[in-house]
Amino acid sequence: MAQIDMRNVQKFFGANQVLKDLDLTIEDGEFVVMLGQSGGGKTTALRAIAGLETVTSGQILIDGVEMQDKKAADRDIAFVFQSFSLYPHMTVRENISFPLRAVRMGSADREKAVNEVAEVLQITEHLDNKPSALSGGDMQRVAIGRALVRRPKALLMDEPLGVLDAKLREQMRAEIKRLHIARGSTSVYVTHDQVEAMSLADRIVILHDGVLQQVGAPEEVYLHPTNAFVAKFVGSPVMNIHEAQFSGVNGHSSVHIGGAGTGFHFPEQLINHVRNTGQAVSLGVRPEAVLLSHEPQEGYFPAQTSNIEPLGSHDIVDVLVGETVLRARTESGYIAREGQQVFVNIDPAQAHFFDGATGLNLRGAN
Amino acid sequence: MPTNNMTRLDPNSQAASRGLSDLSIRNLFIIPTIAFLIIFNIFPLLYSLGYSFTDFRASTNAPAKFVGLQNYRDLLNDPFIWKNFSITAKYVLISVTGQVVVGFGLAMLLNRTIPAKGLITTLLLLPMMLSMAVVGLFWKLLYDPNFGIINYFLGLGKFEWLADPDMALWAIAIVDIWMWSPFVMLLSLAGLSAVPKHLYEAAEIDRAGNIYTFFRITLPLVAPILMIAIIFRTMEAFKTFDLAYVLSSQPTTELIAIRLYKMAFQEWQTGMSSAFAYIVLIMVVAITNIYVKYLNKVKAR
Repeated sequence: MAQIDMRNVQKFFGANQVLKDLDLTIEDGEFVVMLGQSGGGKTTALRAIAGLETVTSGQILIDGVEMQDKKAADRDIAFVFQSFSLYPHMTVRENISFPLRAVRMGSADREKAVNEVAEVLQITEHLDNKPSALSGGDMQRVAIGRALVRRPKALLMDEPLGVLDAKLREQMRAEIKRLHIARGSTSVYVTHDQVEAMSLADRIVILHDGVLQQVGAPEEVYLHPTNAFVAKFVGSPVMNIHEAQFSGVNGHSSVHIGGAGTGFHFPEQLINHVRNTGQAVSLGVRPEAVLLSHEPQEGYFPAQTSNIEPLGSHDIVDVLVGETVLRARTESGYIAREGQQVFVNIDPAQAHFFDGATGLNLRGAN
Repeated sequence: MPTNNMTRLDPNSQAASRGLSDLSIRNLFIIPTIAFLIIFNIFPLLYSLGYSFTDFRASTNAPAKFVGLQNYRDLLNDPFIWKNFSITAKYVLISVTGQVVVGFGLAMLLNRTIPAKGLITTLLLLPMMLSMAVVGLFWKLLYDPNFGIINYFLGLGKFEWLADPDMALWAIAIVDIWMWSPFVMLLSLAGLSAVPKHLYEAAEIDRAGNIYTFFRITLPLVAPILMIAIIFRTMEAFKTFDLAYVLSSQPTTELIAIRLYKMAFQEWQTGMSSAFAYIVLIMVVAITNIYVKYLNKVKAR
């Protein structure tokens, strides 16, 4: 178990900078998920921690010891590959015991460790099979078993569920979480799937273009995204973000989107800090903060619905506001058919304003 | 053969418009090959099997007399023939081992990003593109005790590589290794580059050292293709004739192919040499079968 520190890490591939000024501390026993688009630098960061990739400059510390120039073998870190990377010519038992055999552990201790891990991962019955005879989920269990068997300082996982089908992914996700809680190992997990990130992480690290965007607990990242990229990347369906105009004064301020004549009423204190900057500002609001009503209410204005996505537990309804579309989350069947008229409003408390140029979340004084 | 498994001919194709059916196109391709095989392989094979039971001599007009298994009995009881076999076995062992070690070593060296890799590979492949007899002739010059460049560089004075009865077989094997290591290298290179990079990364994470990784990951994964190279080279080395014939005529370098040639075309013992050829054939098939069994075992895992 270990604490991992990345200090001012830079990584270039030729002229292309894939990690920029990366500073990150992963606490002992923590489950950290690195989230981002492909090419965002998250896998490179993970491989740099493991020692599979060198860094151009900066330090990587494991338990306070500088590791950036050490080989992967000297870092005592386990790594689960997206492609599993099981040794195809060895049985499951030989695969799991490989890290122990490689350091010449005695066969009795080895056998004990392998059986224990196999039991935890429920792959005892497969121990004498070749990996090619296993299902995707079992292959991944073997890969995790091989990583855990020598009790490494930290467990790094690079999109370990990427090649599994949806149902298995959900099941393995729960197992990984269970294993983490049981073993308490420091874990770093890379994914592009925000649902995986939200469900597994103690803290989420969001990387985009090699730059760290935000580090925080899942709910913090969801409720208080630092910028428009994080806001759009975390949460499904995606947050509605539209360019906003302001009108009115003295307690009757409105925020307009999509060129609509009518705007949403906002309390002064929520928009004072953004309305007079002279810069372009975007309004961001999650689908659950878009409120619909069949009856006219104070602050609601009429709009047309278009597309409805019935998802069982709830529906996602597209509402035409001016020239843009707001996606709203409603209880299932609330809007009976497309084209139906509703009254729409948004919850100002859950609204975000983003700088049109930088994408930064413009937080109020509150 | 069930014809309904064949790809149907496109009814609009040129061949169809000429009135060729699927069946006739199939025959068009297969019959020449079958005919060739029968005339040049199967027929001589069976004909020589017939000769092996006679005392036929191709140099006389005397009719062949059936002698049963006498030829085989004589050959297998002849200590000189066994000497030929043990020389050949020694030669195959030295030559194939050398080729595998040198060829695989070269492949390991080339299996990384180095400048001018393509050019180096091509140059290394040159020896195996030369004719055996030519290689034999110029190595004879290289080995020459008076002006040969090998003695000059090794500072061996007038050491007689090819005239020395103990050294001559090694000298021939060295030439064979020089010529055919590139073949093993080429196949090994294909095998090595097929080992996924992420397995090496996994091994590094698992704290396996270089030697452990080589014996536990690299070698087992390259083994099937290396085995194919070994099968080819063993069969070739077993029937080596021209190289040894050109380089040396020592009794210690009389490989079975040379003995067979002398028996068939210098002593004109056609019946006896047919029997000899059959013994060699059975041996090669047996040895190859051992390898193939092992290859299938390796491939199964």
